[in-house]
Amino acid sequence: MIDSIELVQIAAYLGAAISVSFASLSAGYGEGYTAGLANFALMRQPKTSDQLSRTMLVSQAVTETGAIFSLVISLLLLFGGLDVEGGIVKAAALLAGGIAMGLGSVGPGFGSGYAGGYACSALSRMPTKGNEIMGNMLIGQALSQASSIFALVVALLLLYAIPEFSHLTLNQQIMRSVSYLGAGLCIGFGTFGPGTAIGFVAGKASDMIGRYPRERTTIMRTMFVGAAVTESTAIYSLVIAFLLMYAL
Amino acid sequence: MDFSLIVRSAAFLGAGICMGIGALGPGIGQGFVAGKACEGIARSPENSALLTRTMLLGQAVAESTGIYSLVIALLLIFTTG
Amino acid sequence: MMSKKTFFRLLLFFIVIQAILSFGIDYKLNIGLHPDTGKFSIWNSEYPMTIQDRIMEEFQPDEYFKAKGVTPTIYGSERLHGFFATFFGEKTLYAFELIRMLIIVNIVLLIIVYLVRKSIALIPTKKQIVFEMMYSFFEDLTRETLGKDKTHFTSYVLTIFIFIWSCNLIGLIPIPGFMEPTRNINVPFGMGILVVGVVHFMSLKHKGLTKYLKGYAEPFLPMAPINVVGELSKGISISFRLFGNVLGGAIILLVISSLVRFIILPVGLNMFFGLFIGTLQAFVFTMLAMSYIAVEIFD
Repeated sequence: MIDSIELVQIAAYLGAAISVSFASLSAGYGEGYTAGLANFALMRQPKTSDQLSRTMLVSQAVTETGAIFSLVISLLLLFGGLDVEGGIVKAAALLAGGIAMGLGSVGPGFGSGYAGGYACSALSRMPTKGNEIMGNMLIGQALSQASSIFALVVALLLLYAIPEFSHLTLNQQIMRSVSYLGAGLCIGFGTFGPGTAIGFVAGKASDMIGRYPRERTTIMRTMFVGAAVTESTAIYSLVIAFLLMYAL
Repeated sequence: MDFSLIVRSAAFLGAGICMGIGALGPGIGQGFVAGKACEGIARSPENSALLTRTMLLGQAVAESTGIYSLVIALLLIFTTG
Repeated sequence: MMSKKTFFRLLLFFIVIQAILSFGIDYKLNIGLHPDTGKFSIWNSEYPMTIQDRIMEEFQPDEYFKAKGVTPTIYGSERLHGFFATFFGEKTLYAFELIRMLIIVNIVLLIIVYLVRKSIALIPTKKQIVFEMMYSFFEDLTRETLGKDKTHFTSYVLTIFIFIWSCNLIGLIPIPGFMEPTRNINVPFGMGILVVGVVHFMSLKHKGLTKYLKGYAEPFLPMAPINVVGELSKGISISFRLFGNVLGGAIILLVISSLVRFIILPVGLNMFFGLFIGTLQAFVFTMLAMSYIAVEIFD
């Protein structure tokens, strides 16, 4: 039972489902939030429909990045030829990869959607500063999606960089597999908070650039510093995940 | 049956969950602080130094629980078993 | 602000350089005389290391050499190896790459200092304008944060910024063996200890001993251990943030470029993690170093 190929297959299919379902949850919410605020902004300023719809589409494309990463991971899990012999360790690594990418793209999805929505609403208030607002939105979303890139890398390492452990005893195999699960959960939950909150920072900054465009440099400086400090807990999670995968 | 490795594996799982969920709260809190600081600086730019200082102080305090999680996770990884 | 044309030219330049180098130092794709047929051709050869080995070699060289029983080849020649063994001691040998990169960073900084000092004139040259702008930006920042009577802190702040910035950017130069010194935990941790030390020195100088000690019993005395932990967490957070960002960027680049078989190095990701995150983290480190002092002074 414990060395059978069915176990690995079960883990791979379960991981694929977890990965894509969590990601689509947050990306759908984020994109809907952006579109809702964009429609509200259109009501306020119908003349800027070109610029508004462009900003909305760009923002939705960036918001979907995490979901696309998850789709890639789940396709790799399903069709990547990963369901080979490898026993419990391989099964745990595949499941952990799915969990890491799925949970890890939740936060950036929410955050990027928030940032995009507030950028649209700011744009309707100050259409002449559209390029500045869109640039600020893109930088903020890139900072937010950096956490989903962390999750992607951990997931790829869990999928592809797991050595053979068939020569180990059962207890050692259990230890390895549980530590891989721990790494996946760590980066998955750890990117949730920073991803969401950096999006919140970027949204507020875009909103305020729309209201007070003269203070743009100061606002952007504060946004950079605040976002970088906010990201530190995601970095701690990344360090712990790498330790759990490689430093044992 | 030798249970020491099982205990060790529980410690690793605990380290992962500890850092993961422990990073959730401080992340959201710090982001909220930074967003509100952006708002405040936009509204009263003459106080930007004071606001930045207060923001960083608040974020440092909010982050201390994240640091506790990090320390506990490192202890779990390196000192058990 | 850089114009669009210059930016795209720079991007193209980086793409070409990286493409050439990825062919030159490639481990999978070979160009030249084929060893079997003797004809000029392009062929694939198996790279002997797995990605796990690569990560281990890049980030824990000593563990890697111990586990594999390989003699380190990073020194270039036996004589250099012997020189470093006698000069720094056997134990520090595995940190050779770190020490080499720190020395390179310092030499680059010294060359920049020499060039800028040489070209100082009354009518400023281009180099002078760039560095004066940088200095005045940080002087404004210092005056804003620390107050008008503390502008002499500008040199301390600017030194920290320029050192960390050049440490982060030197990994962008695509030469094999080049790495960011900040990727090793010892460098950010040393900087963090320096920053926290300066903060406490300023606090002692400003408040006096009794007030400084009273600060630890802030709301009431039993809170003292938590305050001490808070002080320690300053150093941990400021150094781990820099270290983790740079290390994470490096590992991400390694993983992604190994997935595309080292034929295409991901230029966009390299730009994001090298230029953008590198600059941002250097700036955040300096801002925090300054704000910690400001918190102690203005309390």
